[in-house]
Amino acid sequence: MGIKHLHRNIYLSVCLSVCLSVCLSVCTSAPESPRKFDCRSREKETFSCWWEPGSDGGLPTEYRLFYTQERLREVRECPDYVSAGANSCFFDKKHTSIWAEYTMTVVATNALGNASEEFRITDVMEYVKPDPPVNVTVVVNSSAPSPFLEIRWKSPPDVDVRTGWVTLKYELRVKQNDSKEWKVIDIGSETFFNFYNVYPGLLYMVQVRCKLDHGKWSEWSNTIFAEIPKNHQLEKYFWIFVFVFSLVPFLMAMYIVLLKRNAVKQCLLPPVPGPKIKGLNAHLLKSGRSEDVVNALMGNQNFPPVAAWTEQVEDFLLVSDSDEWLLTDSFASEKNKDIFIIPAGLHLGLEIQRRDLSVDLNTWEKTDDSKEEAKSNFSNMEPINLPVEKHEFLNGEEKSIQPLASTSYVDIQQHPTLTDYSRVKEVNDNTILILNEEEIPHGLDAEEVKSEVSVPDDYSRVKEVNSDVVFLEKGDSADGCCKKKEDHYTDWTNQNKGFCLKMIASGYVDSGPAFSVK
Amino acid sequence: MQQKSEKRQLGQRRNRLRTCRTDKRTMAQRRISGGKLFITVVYLVAMCRAVPVNDLLDRASQRSDKMHSLSTLLTQEMDSHFPPYGRMQMPRPADCHTSALQTPNDKEQALQVSESDLMSLARSLLQAWVDPLAVLSTSAITLPHPSKSSISSKIQELQEHSKSLGDGLDILSGKMGPSAQAISFLPYTGGTDLGQDRVTILNKFNFLLSCLRRDSHKIDSFLKVLRCRAAKLQPELC
Repeated sequence: MGIKHLHRNIYLSVCLSVCLSVCLSVCTSAPESPRKFDCRSREKETFSCWWEPGSDGGLPTEYRLFYTQERLREVRECPDYVSAGANSCFFDKKHTSIWAEYTMTVVATNALGNASEEFRITDVMEYVKPDPPVNVTVVVNSSAPSPFLEIRWKSPPDVDVRTGWVTLKYELRVKQNDSKEWKVIDIGSETFFNFYNVYPGLLYMVQVRCKLDHGKWSEWSNTIFAEIPKNHQLEKYFWIFVFVFSLVPFLMAMYIVLLKRNAVKQCLLPPVPGPKIKGLNAHLLKSGRSEDVVNALMGNQNFPPVAAWTEQVEDFLLVSDSDEWLLTDSFASEKNKDIFIIPAGLHLGLEIQRRDLSVDLNTWEKTDDSKEEAKSNFSNMEPINLPVEKHEFLNGEEKSIQPLASTSYVDIQQHPTLTDYSRVKEVNDNTILILNEEEIPHGLDAEEVKSEVSVPDDYSRVKEVNSDVVFLEKGDSADGCCKKKEDHYTDWTNQNKGFCLKMIASGYVDSGPAFSVK
Repeated sequence: MQQKSEKRQLGQRRNRLRTCRTDKRTMAQRRISGGKLFITVVYLVAMCRAVPVNDLLDRASQRSDKMHSLSTLLTQEMDSHFPPYGRMQMPRPADCHTSALQTPNDKEQALQVSESDLMSLARSLLQAWVDPLAVLSTSAITLPHPSKSSISSKIQELQEHSKSLGDGLDILSGKMGPSAQAISFLPYTGGTDLGQDRVTILNKFNFLLSCLRRDSHKIDSFLKVLRCRAAKLQPELC
């Protein structure tokens, strides 16, 4: 029995131990080697390093750091595992050597084994990164001429600048509260700066950082805010100044205006000439006697202008072949302002008929009103009277006729012309003067004719267009008055219809009904 | 421009100091009548206005600061396009040709070193880099690196700064005593050729630049400690 028990116990213990060992190997393991090694020195006198532990294998693992220095042959262990936090090593002043190479070995150990990793620090100076500057103060200095920011700070603690062991260089940045861009300024080794690019009424943010011996920059310090007060006083002074300075010229201007008010009045408000009626007395009006007023306004009721007008009309002497066109004064006066058509076709037809015989000088005018009259007149082949100052011709004055605008009055130009009326064949109403070429002796007078009324022998061109008078020159029928419209009138000789369209200053001749000349 | 003018100034000062020294020696030898002596001494003193040491140190430390800044930029520029081959395969800083020189490695040590020794150390390190800088300068022109022109110009600038700083430190050390004028000899044994293939050349270049950065920082730190020590009358400098 005892032996059986013994065997059983042995068997059980062996089983347990085997199970345990199996269990342990499955659940736990040796630790992994640590990774990622980094160090930092704050002031070029001490430094600390951190590592990242690997997997610990499920068992409590211990980490140890061993290092060797460039000069020292011996291997030392980390003097301080605590001060810099977990998984770190802090090297104090005694154990820190600048410009020396460190070879660090971090060993992770647990019950099942260990793992180690080697890290090399070429130079502690490569890991120097100071703390940001402290006691940053920003004071707004509101002295004239413009406000500015006085920025002051102190070097980070523990940094020994005094002995020259460390050289700090600072950098400053400022921005407006709502702006996105910082303005960065290099300072050098000083611990103050005056920032002038500020405007009243705005809020500014200031930050400072430093670097040690051309190493890495520190973090930016805390942001300090500063607001520039609005400069009301200066504004007040400014406006008072502007007011006083603008008041002086204003007062001077007023004084001058006052002195010369009459002249100013003349300049700005020139006197409007009042209506002056002859014989009208303003005072008379005021007195209100109607008889006098009427007399003053109406005059003597003589109507002198009308009489004069008729007199003028009566001055015209009409010369014509037939009697029918001899117009009475009333007719003339009636038609005084009318303009009559004399269709080109008519005259030209006439001309064509008598091409060899006569040279006609036609003037053209038109009104719609007078068409029918013209027609009726023309049906007789009778040119209409012209209330032209023919008598002047009879008097032998050398003048050419040029009608006045839209009236029957003809302005007579001085011309060495028309010494005799023999050339005047016909005088049509108002403005038509037809010259009879027959009577013009060729050769000698041709030139004269040319110069007279600027009517050369060759009437193919329109010589002159005055306001109401068109001087036509007749030549080849094709080149006749329709020179401009040659394309329309291809066969002038055969055609007796159609009109010339001419542009007259005051009107135009439209193509009225064609007249066929028989 | 500023460098050249400063060079000239330093050179002029050196000449003046030399003439001062020689004049003083001849003066000491000839002891004629007291009156004449007195007058000549006064005249010479008036002529030889010594440039204050503070001023010289200030300029020297500015120059060394510039040098360190340039060397830092150089290493950064090299690393930007050529990541280190591997920190294990890179030559160790202990292999720098100047590593044999014993220098203070922390603040306490540095503050305990005498001014003369600090000056001697700075001058030794500066002198040790004259030849390697020339090698770097010639190699930079044909360096298989994208920003070789920028690197080359920085190295040339470094050479100029190094030269003028050396002249200035010569004058300064002359004022500080014989121990300041002692220079440790640190020869560069790397040869003029950096290597044959691209990888070797770049590795060697990188290594030299890292050594240069370390040494330029040492020079800068020592001179700035010296400056603050000499500026007791002007505490605002430090």
